[in-house]
Amino acid sequence: MNFAEVTAGLPGVGTAARLGRRARGAFDVDEWGLDPELVALVDPALSLRWDIDVVGAEQLPAVGGAVLVFNRRVGVSEPWVLARGVRLATGRFVRTVGVPDVAPVGPVLRRFGGVLDRTDEIAGLLRAGQLVGLPMARSLRGRLQAGALEVERLQAAIATGSPVVPVALHGREVGRSWRVVLGDAIRPGTGGPLDAVELADATRQAVQDLLDDAVPASWWH
Amino acid sequence: MRVLITGMGGELGTRVTNLLEADPTFTEIVGIDGYPPRRRISRVSFHRIEPSDRRRTVHLVREVDPHVVLHLGVYEPNAHFDPTPARLGTRAAAVSVLGAAASCPSLEAIVVRSGIEVYGRSRGGPTRPDESAAVRPTTPWGASLAHVEQVAAEAGQLAGVPVTVVRCGPVVGPSFPSPLGRYLRLPAVAVAPVLELPFSLLHQEDAAQALLAAAHARHDGPLNVVGPGAVTASQAVRRGGRVPVPVLGPGWWFASAAAQLLGAPLPPHTRELLVRGGVADGTEATSVLGVAPRDTDDVITQLYQWGDVARVATSVPGGSR
Repeated sequence: MNFAEVTAGLPGVGTAARLGRRARGAFDVDEWGLDPELVALVDPALSLRWDIDVVGAEQLPAVGGAVLVFNRRVGVSEPWVLARGVRLATGRFVRTVGVPDVAPVGPVLRRFGGVLDRTDEIAGLLRAGQLVGLPMARSLRGRLQAGALEVERLQAAIATGSPVVPVALHGREVGRSWRVVLGDAIRPGTGGPLDAVELADATRQAVQDLLDDAVPASWWH
Repeated sequence: MRVLITGMGGELGTRVTNLLEADPTFTEIVGIDGYPPRRRISRVSFHRIEPSDRRRTVHLVREVDPHVVLHLGVYEPNAHFDPTPARLGTRAAAVSVLGAAASCPSLEAIVVRSGIEVYGRSRGGPTRPDESAAVRPTTPWGASLAHVEQVAAEAGQLAGVPVTVVRCGPVVGPSFPSPLGRYLRLPAVAVAPVLELPFSLLHQEDAAQALLAAAHARHDGPLNVVGPGAVTASQAVRRGGRVPVPVLGPGWWFASAAAQLLGAPLPPHTRELLVRGGVADGTEATSVLGVAPRDTDDVITQLYQWGDVARVATSVPGGSR
């Protein structure tokens, strides 16, 4: 029995090994700046902040790109909740659109999977087989209101033939408990003039339906 | 097939020449540069002409009347030459060679070495541009390459031939004169650990193979040739067992001055690469040229295994070295 086998079960050994690898530079960073090992290092802290329940993770492709369109209210917790929820459920990283290209915020957020809000950036990620988290506009009026969706960003899904998955996020900004509900994937059309607009309408409606389904029926009766 | 290759005296030019010699498709090879090739060449007619000597260059190009022009005569600042002579040499070579080639009746294709620096790294610009991204250089080296591309496009249009622009990632290799390679191998290296974004590299052998494949491809348009994957500067430095020195803002001025004193000047495009990163989507080149560059991780590992990286020799293109 060697030293590694003896220490394998001890608390903190995995973290120490990760820190050692970081000191040697022996870790991976992808071309957009995602640092999976850094994500793993801070994951215990994220688990203290958010308790996430994921429903419908089977809607996501096991490999290949997809756009996950999600609602947000204030918009601070939602990207983290979606990324962590999907990662725990499927093992895949979500690249959330909307990181500012300003240091130090931009480079730090990119380490956790953030990407710029550009259609060509999204298309490049989809071609590389990544999951892209595309936020809808903030909806401060109500938690269960799907915001507007920028049509141009969905051109990337149409150009690459990637599925669009509507995602409803339920939770309170200051609360710990969140629920991630993924709906049926929507296949984009072949690229006609109306495709992007119709895809955006269908996606927004699908997110709204998921949010409506989350409300207990007793609220209405 | 007759091929004219410029920049033959450089490390990359010499290697491409050796590959052309081994390819029976190229029956006649003519080379131009301001200094002689680095290795033995067997069946090449080499002409030592300085890039600034337009009269001799134009005369030779017209006399050769090549089927393919392989223009590698681009000079990276602080690789062999100081920034100003490098810029002027790059500009002069492009205008003379490509301008003369446009009037050659046998011309079938032009291949130009460029770089992903042409995309620039302006704020909000694409992180990993593909070939459809706009050319918006943000450094003098990027602007030089963009000018070469523009001259090549005009020459190709005039002659009615395809122009393959091979946009290489930062090229490093054993004995390859690269300011980036030199800088990363210093014992202590200034980095911006919180601010930095990743970059990709290209091994010199992969660059040579891609340029050879481009001479056959007859592809009209740009192709990004980069090694898959990426590293950040501080990650590379730690892998090489060097000491990373965190630097912010004006600290870069002192870092650049110190690096210059140690024989590893830090030109603007290298500094931009270290902080703002530099990657590109190389998918199309892989499918068009059939080349598969080695991973950036492997190139970085090898960078720290090579015995030495060529030291800077301050001179001008074509001058005595």
